[in-house]
This record gives sequence, C-alpha cells and structure tokens, in this order.
Amino acid sequence: MNCETAQSQLSLLLYGELGFDDEERIEQHLEGCPDCRAAKERVKALHTALDGARLEPPPALLADSRREFSARLQSSHSRRRPTGWLSRAGDWLQAPAPWWRLATAAGLLAAGFLGARLTMPPTPAPAPPADPVASRVRFLEPSRDGGVRIVLEETRQRVLSGPLEEEPILRLLLGAARETSDPGLRADSIDLLKQKSEAAPVRRALLHTLEHDPNPAVRLKALEGLKPYAHESDIRQALSRTLLEDESASIRSAAIDLLIESRGVELIGTLQELLRREENDYVRSRSQKALREMNASVGTF
Amino acid sequence: MATAAGKLPRMEQEANLIRSAQRGDEKAFEQLVQTYDAGVLRLAYNLLRSEEDARDVYQEAFLRVHRNLASFRYDCSFHTWLYRIVTNLCLDQLRRRQVRREESAVIQAGQETRDRAAEMAEDNPASDPERRLLSLELRNRVREILGSLTPRERMVFELRHYEGWRLRAIGEALGTTEEAAKNCLFRVTQKMRAALEDLA
Repeated sequence: MNCETAQSQLSLLLYGELGFDDEERIEQHLEGCPDCRAAKERVKALHTALDGARLEPPPALLADSRREFSARLQSSHSRRRPTGWLSRAGDWLQAPAPWWRLATAAGLLAAGFLGARLTMPPTPAPAPPADPVASRVRFLEPSRDGGVRIVLEETRQRVLSGPLEEEPILRLLLGAARETSDPGLRADSIDLLKQKSEAAPVRRALLHTLEHDPNPAVRLKALEGLKPYAHESDIRQALSRTLLEDESASIRSAAIDLLIESRGVELIGTLQELLRREENDYVRSRSQKALREMNASVGTF
Repeated sequence: MATAAGKLPRMEQEANLIRSAQRGDEKAFEQLVQTYDAGVLRLAYNLLRSEEDARDVYQEAFLRVHRNLASFRYDCSFHTWLYRIVTNLCLDQLRRRQVRREESAVIQAGQETRDRAAEMAEDNPASDPERRLLSLELRNRVREILGSLTPRERMVFELRHYEGWRLRAIGEALGTTEEAAKNCLFRVTQKMRAALEDLA
C-alpha cells in the first residue's frame, strides 16, 4: 500500500467503516510511515472540529412541533371520520387485525366464523361489545325502514396464559413460530422459545426457522437461540448451510462467528467454498483468518 | 432474551407500542412518536438548517407514519421505515432547494441568523484570537463545502458523521447498498479534506 491510497482511506478508517483486510493493510502501513501517521492525526483533528458543528434544535421547536402535530392529527380525525354508527362500524373494521393475530397465535380459532344477519335499530349502534369477539362487517345495505342491515363475521377469542414449559403453551408457541403470517409474531414467539432451547422440539423449531423463515430478523433471532449449541453436529451443519446460502449478510456474519468459535476440520471445506462465493468483506475476512489459523489453504484446488 | 415483567426489552416495548397504535390506540401512537421525534427533528434541522423546514418534515413524516402504520408489517425495523420517510422528505427538500439555487448556510432562528460554523466559532475560546481566526476561516470553508455536496452526499455525511449511523443502516434507510453509501461517504470525505485539511 502506498501513502496516497492509505491517506485517501483515513476518514473511513476513523469512522470504522473499512473491511477487516483494508484496515489491517492501512494499520500496517501506518506503523512504518510517520507521514501517514501525521496525516491521520490531521484527519482526526478535522473530524473533531466538525463534531463541534452539530446543532441541537431549540427546545421550543420540539415542543411546538409536538403541539402542532397533535392538533393536525385531531383535525384530520374530525375531517376523515363520519360521525355516528358508521364511524364505529369503521372502527370495528380496523379492529380485527391484531385480534386475528392473537387468535392465530392461539391456534384455537380456526372455526368460529358466523354469518349473521342483524337488523340494526334506527338509533346509533352501541359501542363494540366488551367481550372478546372480533367482528368484521361483510356486507351492509339500507333497509326499507330507513335503517341498515349489517352482516358480520365474528370470531371469539380465548386467552391462554401459563408458564412456557406447560405443554399447551409450548405447543401453541411452536405453532405460532412456524405458521403465522405476521413476522412480528413469529419473532416474538422465537424470542420466547429461545428461553427453552434445551427442549428438543424447540431446538428443531429454531433450526427450521433459521433455514426456512422468509424474514431475516426472525431467522437472526433463531440463530441467537442456537448459540449455546453451536458445538453440536446437527446445529453446525445447519449453520454451515446458512453461512453458504442465507441471503442476509448479517445472518452470514453471525453464523460464521458462531462456527469459528469451535473450529473443526469439517469447517475447512465450508470456509473454502464460502470464499468462492462470498462478497461481504466481514464474512470473507473472518473466513480467511480462520483458515489461516487452521493452517488451511484459502483456496480450493 | 429474558423478559422480566415490567421491564421489557426496548424492541419488545416498541413492538407492543406499534401493535397498540395499529389497533387505534392514540396514546400508544403518541408514545411511539415521542420515542423518535427528537432525533427526527434534529436530523431535519441539521440537514435543512431551517426551523420552518424542519418543522414541516416533522409534521409530514409523522402524518405519513400515522396514515400507513396499519399496513406496516415488520419487513424492516420501525426505525428504518420511519427514517426512509424522513430521509426522503429531507432529500426532496434539498433537491428543491438545489433546483432553485437557494442553498444557504444560514439558519433562521427567531430574529437571529446563525450558521453551523458560527456555532463552531462560539464553541471556541473567544480569548484566543488565533483560534477565532481559524474558526472563522473554517466556518467559511465548511459552509462552502456543505453547500457544494449533492443532497445524497449531504445526507450520508449527516447520518454518518453527526448521527453516528453505520453505513449498513444508512444504506437501508436510503434504499441503497452499504457499498454505495460507503462510496458516497468516501467522496464526501475527500471533498472535506481537500477543503479543510490545512485548517484542521
């Protein structure tokens, strides 16, 4: 590395945004080059000078913005929402989404749709009932007496609570981790299941999520749950597949960190294969370093 | 992740708030806004250097969040989603200014006019004439260089240098790759150094 290249990278070095190899090369160069070390000090001073240029908005600006926003929100509500029963029917339409999620998580409400024809009274409809029923307006039409007929679909909710190790709770969480369409809910389920990763079904669920969940955040959570078992053969195989195949660089980074914690010769082939296809600097450098430390070649022959 | 009752991890608290807000709980929405709004306002204020524009970005960003929260499905974090909206609004505003060639380093702060580099001068000991002179010189150069950056460069620099974001997160918020954000930051740092290195 020459001085020109080293000096052009100094800002990125100070921001900590260089890959492992680039950083190594520059640090090596700096050790033997007083000019570049002096240049680094100048860039550092420049960064420090710029640090002082940051502005904090006047406190009144935040308070005013909050007040204005609150007022705009209220006025947009009053403009958008019709009054009376129609508005409440609209609220009902909004309400089912999270209820549905809960219902799905419980996995108990597959049945329960009920088509019902109700004749609404001419007076405004009452507020939604307090008991846990998710209602969805499927159809409505004016009736001859000037009122309206609304067809609702209703699903009853059930709430289950108990310790994680209790069989029905664990079974429902395993189902939610695998089958719900909401990644947030899957992530929450995996988060809870991680606490019970000593149980074989939980371990299987974490492995399945790691390799098959479409959402990278959920896969990452599953990977975290597998950390304590990163030395076990089936887990290592799954981690190796993840390392080679997962599209998320964050997950590949986490996978390689776990795999090289306990090195084995079986890892060499995976890491060599990885170097053929990996584009992420961090993952590449970790792989190269591990291969070097295992006295293995960084290429395949 | 352990979840001690009453002290939920931040992400979990946030997920709960989002779900409640999606159900129409306005208090939860307000809490969600207030988790992020100081940061949003600071970014907009530093980028646009105008109280009025920063206030507009704040209003529009959170109104959009409110309008679209029901369809938010955790395809990315809430933070990333929010900042996609905020950075787009700021970039639009910077581009409009660029077109109008009205770029200026002046901040309208009540009746006073101040600029970013003037703050730097104020931070320095007024009793040291040499440093004061240096700060004045620095102020002019900083003004010049910030004004010459493209809106995108400006955004990447603000997020990396002042907000301390990692390039990966910047790429996610701006809908580009980490590598593209890195190239952009590299260009900015080269420009900064060329303009300011002799003064630092």
